[in-house]
Parts: sequence; structure tokens; C-alpha cells
Amino acid sequence: MLWLALHLPLLSLEAFCATLAEADRQRPVVLFDGHQVSAVNAAAAQCGIRPGMKRATALALAADLLPGQADAARDAAALQAVAHVALAFTPSVTLHGTQTVLLEVQASLRYFGGLPALHQRLQDALAPLGHPVPHRVQRAAAPTALGAAWLARWHPRGQGDLVLGTHATQPAALQRLLGGLPVDLLGAAPAQAQAQALQAMGLHTLSDLRQLPRAGLARRFGQTLLDDIDRACGQRADPREWLTLPAAFESRLELHARADSTEQVLLGAAVLLARLVAWAQARQARVAAFTLAMQHERSSRPGGDATAPATELRIELADPALDPAHLQLLLRERLAHCALAAPTLELRLHCSHVVQASAPNGELFPTRASESAGLVRLLERLRARLGDTQVQHLVAVADHRPERASLAVPAQGAPSSNPAPGDAFTPASAALPLHRPAWLLPEPLPLAERGALPWLEGRPLQLVSGPERIEAGWWDGEPAARDYFIAQAEDGSLVWLWRGRLPAVPGAVQWFLQGRFA
Amino acid sequence: MALSPSLGSCVAPATLQVSAARPVPAPATLPLFPSARPARSPEELHPALWRAHQLGRAQEVVLASGFADLDAQLPGGGWPAGVLTELLLPHAGVGELRLLAPVLARQQGAQRSLMWFDPPAAPCAWALAALGIAVRQLVVVQSRQNLKHRAREQLPAADILWALEHALKSGHLGAVLAWLPARLPADALRRLQLAAQAHEGPAFLLRGVQARNQPSAAPLRLLLASAGPDTLRVTLLKRRGPPLAQPITLALPPVLSAPARARALAGRVAPRAAVTAVTAVAAPRTATAA
Repeated sequence: MLWLALHLPLLSLEAFCATLAEADRQRPVVLFDGHQVSAVNAAAAQCGIRPGMKRATALALAADLLPGQADAARDAAALQAVAHVALAFTPSVTLHGTQTVLLEVQASLRYFGGLPALHQRLQDALAPLGHPVPHRVQRAAAPTALGAAWLARWHPRGQGDLVLGTHATQPAALQRLLGGLPVDLLGAAPAQAQAQALQAMGLHTLSDLRQLPRAGLARRFGQTLLDDIDRACGQRADPREWLTLPAAFESRLELHARADSTEQVLLGAAVLLARLVAWAQARQARVAAFTLAMQHERSSRPGGDATAPATELRIELADPALDPAHLQLLLRERLAHCALAAPTLELRLHCSHVVQASAPNGELFPTRASESAGLVRLLERLRARLGDTQVQHLVAVADHRPERASLAVPAQGAPSSNPAPGDAFTPASAALPLHRPAWLLPEPLPLAERGALPWLEGRPLQLVSGPERIEAGWWDGEPAARDYFIAQAEDGSLVWLWRGRLPAVPGAVQWFLQGRFA
Repeated sequence: MALSPSLGSCVAPATLQVSAARPVPAPATLPLFPSARPARSPEELHPALWRAHQLGRAQEVVLASGFADLDAQLPGGGWPAGVLTELLLPHAGVGELRLLAPVLARQQGAQRSLMWFDPPAAPCAWALAALGIAVRQLVVVQSRQNLKHRAREQLPAADILWALEHALKSGHLGAVLAWLPARLPADALRRLQLAAQAHEGPAFLLRGVQARNQPSAAPLRLLLASAGPDTLRVTLLKRRGPPLAQPITLALPPVLSAPARARALAGRVAPRAAVTAVTAVAAPRTATAA
């Protein structure tokens, strides 16, 4: 058994900083737990604020302090994301305390090519999670779970590898390492009284504790302390419950400052999208659709509705993907079209639609499959920006009326996989002469007539070919009985125009321009 | 070697000769610099070098246009791939699609898709099929739909420029045709030219003739005009090489039958006589009635 522990000492601070706007991240940030300071960032530490101070002291030391409340739910959500990343490497993942994730990796070592390679891959996978900088992670490896957790929390200088962190692969080596563990790391974090009592007795490290008689230690400090030491050294069993992955992804982020613009909403959404990608990777699936719900401010006007309205944005992908940049771009383009009714206070991301198939292989040289996949992605991005109906395919319809002979349908997915509507079919190109124009006007343009000739843009047209009679459509209520002519304009270009077989007003002939030959 | 002004022929790309590859036999008289080679013309040194009176050799892939007269005048012998080509038209419908149909059909034959941005009118699928363009591999992107002509011109071009840039950068398309509005931001064409370097086929920008006097980053600019029925007059405004004084006249795939064409040509010569001729001629009906 080889346990890997990932300890995140600044998790609550980093989770809070992820909810801040861009401009606020440079300020000194302090987290308060009740009335005491629980975490400070670098800028606040420079002002002299330390954990344990009172609220008033902290506010007095830094003028532009950004105070925040410690929130256990927010920290738990951030730790869940780290655990989901770890689940992509091994199925045996469990949480320890509020800041540590434990992985059992003995069975995965051979697949990932050894412990250093596994460490590197874990680091790369954890990098996109923290915002704006990756989480600060202390790593340790040991044959027992509790031993690894303690080593990661202790993180002794000079004791471990730069790459691997503190690590011990044999129980004897672990016991020697653990000998130097300071006693205030034993037991639960808030057990300050126990640590002070031990230090008052002159016991500073774990090796001091082990030299004492066990019965006396158990009577003074309780059996749990002895049990923990035994579990850490491997002399007692330490069964753990493995973490299970939820079937649907649900995560919320409460923004610190209300978001008035798309950019601010996107910053918060980026955090949630990174968590979504981590969850989907742990499930070995790709995201096919997700929903972003934006909770707005309640209107304070009398008579407004009591429940806060929420705007839901559902994004469906034509080709399931796991690329956070691609998802971010789709969300950005859709948000640009969405009008927000009120400033946003909270973001919620929900995803239950994933595709279990394995991802397509990355290829060195482009093949037809990768080309069509890339084209689908391009069409998706264009549709997100311009609208679903603006990206079209043309379909030839078997109808003699020219305005019905060609139909533009919105494009979904790859061009060759698009199902054509019932009337459509592919005309054989060799069988057609070129007597149809390539450009058809959306509506026929009426032309003036002078001297028995139609006039276009102040110039007479010369009829050179025709008439071609098209009578169709008597069966669906839009009959067309037209005589089509090809005419030459003054500059030599050819146009297609028609006049009705039976004039609408007797005696007057009305010419219409239908298209141009290109 | 004497420098011959070769307007139509391309000089074969020369390779650098390494002097240490073959030992040069000792000359009868000792030269001042033993390692000096006889002077050669610079255009033999590298394919990218050319003189002003010669036609430039295209560095990138060129695709034959299907018209031999035009290929002879284009640098490299065809439409260049990976750069912008600008076509200026007085109005839609002078024969531009018949000009581009061979290269578009060949790109589709290589299993690549075409993308058209903002065509001036609705394309007819039957006519495109007759020209050899498969509509199943064509995507039409409309950024300003349901607007009249003047309103379309006034609308800012941000959407279509964004879409065009992304399409060019993706590199998954065979060819791109874009009908751009008259007024563009100053550096729009420069950005598109940079984006087109990732594109593996030709990129055609079709604009109005008022863009003739505006500077453009496209290395090839052509002015198209109709010179009669089924005839196209191409003026090369800008190319890598000497400017072409005379416009080229190309014969397009015919729309008119031979008698209709004769009538049209007679009409261009004597417009008055054609007015009476049309009413007198009884044209045969083609069998397309429902």
C-alpha cells in the first residue's frame, strides 16, 4: 500500500479569492472565523496581520482590507474538486479533515510509470483548478494513510525530495521520519490544550512520546492519541471509506461582489467550468450539455416578487468535448447575446448529460475524422456567436418554382451528416445545363417597362433567350405561371426575369427580376 | 547567363551549389580569389528572389484556376493558397462563380468543405450543382440576414470579420469566399491576411469596385467586369510581378445557346435593331413545364 496525501494549507483563502473580482485580488484579504482571523494572504501578512488576531486589530492594521467570512461549504466544494481530479488517477480516494485528500496509488504506479511521473501528472491536472494561481499543495507519500496525512501537513524542510515531497516507502523509514513530527500536529487541529500540555511536559516530538509507557499515556491523554500513533506507524488497521463520484455535477459559487458585466460572470464561471472538467474526467466521459443558472438580486421595490429570479443558460454541444477553453468560448459567446435582468449574485452550474464514449485519439497528421471533428467545432463556435439559424446548409428541393427549389436549413453538426428534409435530393451535376442562375433574389424585383422592353437601373435589357414557361404549384395554393427570359444588361451581364402568363391587370405586362447569372 | 525578361515563363527554382561538393579543377591562370565563383543571376540563388520585370514565383501552394490564360498571368500559375485574394466586382452576377467554380470543385473533391460568408443573394442549389459545387459540403454563414441592401452596408462588420478570422485560423476548410461590406476597419485586412496563413486553401474576398483605391494587404487583386455574354474581363490590379497593362478576356462556361449568343452579340453592336428582333423571333420552348 502506498498512500499519497495532498494537503492544501491555504484552501479556504484560495476558495474565497476565486469569488473576488479581478481588481480586488491585489488587496490584503483576511478571512474571519467569528471574530478571529483564520487566514491571511501575502499582502495582509505584510501589513502585520497574523492568524488569531481580533477583528478590530486586523482592521486597524490595514486600511484597505477586504474582509471575508470563513465558509465551510465553500471550502468543501473546493476540496471536492481536488478529490475529483484525484479520482482520475485511482478509484481509492478519501478525504481527511477539511484540507487533505488521500489517494491509494500502489495499484496505479505501474500504469503511470512510477511515483515521480504520477506526481508530475497530478500537478499538471491540479494546475487549472485554482484561480488565479494554482492551489498551493503539500505532497507526501507513506505506507499508511495517517502517516502520509501527517507528513503532508508537517512538510518538513530539508527532509524530502523537491519533486516527491516527503516520502517513505517502507514502514521502518516511515517510523524514523515520523519521529521528528511536532506534537501539535497530532490529533484534531483545534486540540490546542493537549499540545500545550504535552509541551509543558517537555515532549516536543513523536519520538519523545513513543519512549513513554503506553498505559500512562493512555490514562493521561486518552486512548485515541495512542490509536492514532499506532495507525500512523502501521501497527493498527486503518480502514477508510472511499469517495464516490456523484452521478450529476452540481456546484455553486457565490460571488463576493455582484457581477454587473459579462466579464465578471465569466470569471466566476471559469472556476465552475474547471470543476466540471475535473468531474467529467474522473467519470471518463465528455460533456454534452450543461446549464449555467445566474441568481439575481432580489428587487427591493414594493410589489416585486419575493423569490429571486434566475436566468438559466443551457449550452448544448454538437460534439461532446472536454476542453475547458472550448467550453469557455461557447459560454462567452452565448452570454454576449443574453441580456441580464439584474446584477448576478450567485452562479450555479449543473451538468447531467455526459457521453461515456472514449475521446477521439489525438493524431499527428490530420485525417478525415479529425478534420470533420474540427469543422463541427468551428460550426459550433460560429453558431454560438451568430445564432443558430445564421449558419446554414443549402438543400436542393425538387420543385420547378425557382424560389422553392433551394432551401437554406440551419446547420447541425458535420455537413455530410446533416439529415436532409424529405423533399430534398441531390441533382446529378452532369445532367444539368447552366440555364439556372446562381444568384436568386429573395423576392422578385418588379421592373419598369418602356418601349416593350424591361428596364433595369435606368438601362434597357435585351431579351436573348426564352420564353421558358414554368407552371407549377397549383396543388399547394401558390400557383405560379410564368414565362422566363434570359436578358443581357448594358454591361454584358446576364439576368433572369419573368412575366406572368396571364397578366394581373389586362393590357399591362409586369416584368420581374428573379436572379443573376454568376 | 543573360537576363531574359521572362514575363510568362517561370524560372525553375535553383538550388545552392555547395562549393565543397565537387573539387573545381585548377584554372590555367591563378585567379585573384581562388574561391570566387563566376557571378550568377540572383534569381537562381533562391526561389524567393525575383526581379521587378519577372513574374514572382509563389512560395506557397498554388491551385490551377482552370483558365489557361489566367494561369499564365498569375504568379506561380494559379490561385495562391494561404493568402487573401481580392476580387472587385461592379455588382454581383458578372460571372465570378463560373470563374471560381473549377478551384472550388477541386477542393471539394479533396474532401474539404467550403464556407461562404454573407453571399449577396440566395444561392440556388441547382445552379451550384451544375457548376460542379457539391452543396452537401458547403456551409453558408449569414451575419446580416433579413436586411435590405443599404442597411446591410451600414451595419458594422465586426461579426463577419470575427467569423472569417476564426474560420481561416481553424484550418479545416478547403476554400473561403467572403462578401465584405464597403467600409472596413483599417487593420481588418491585415488581420485576415495573418489568419489566412493557417488556412490551407484559397481565401477570396469579394468587394465592390470602390475598394479599388483603398490600400489592401491582399497580395493578389483582380478587377472583374462583364465583357459580353458569357465573357469576363479580368484586370490584374496587384500581383507579385509587373503590372499587366491589358486586361485578360476569359470565355466562361456558357449559359446561352449558340443562337442566343449570336443574338446577344448582335444586340450589343446595334441595340436598336435588337428590339424588333426579339419580338419577331419565336424561340423554341424548352421542356421544363410542369
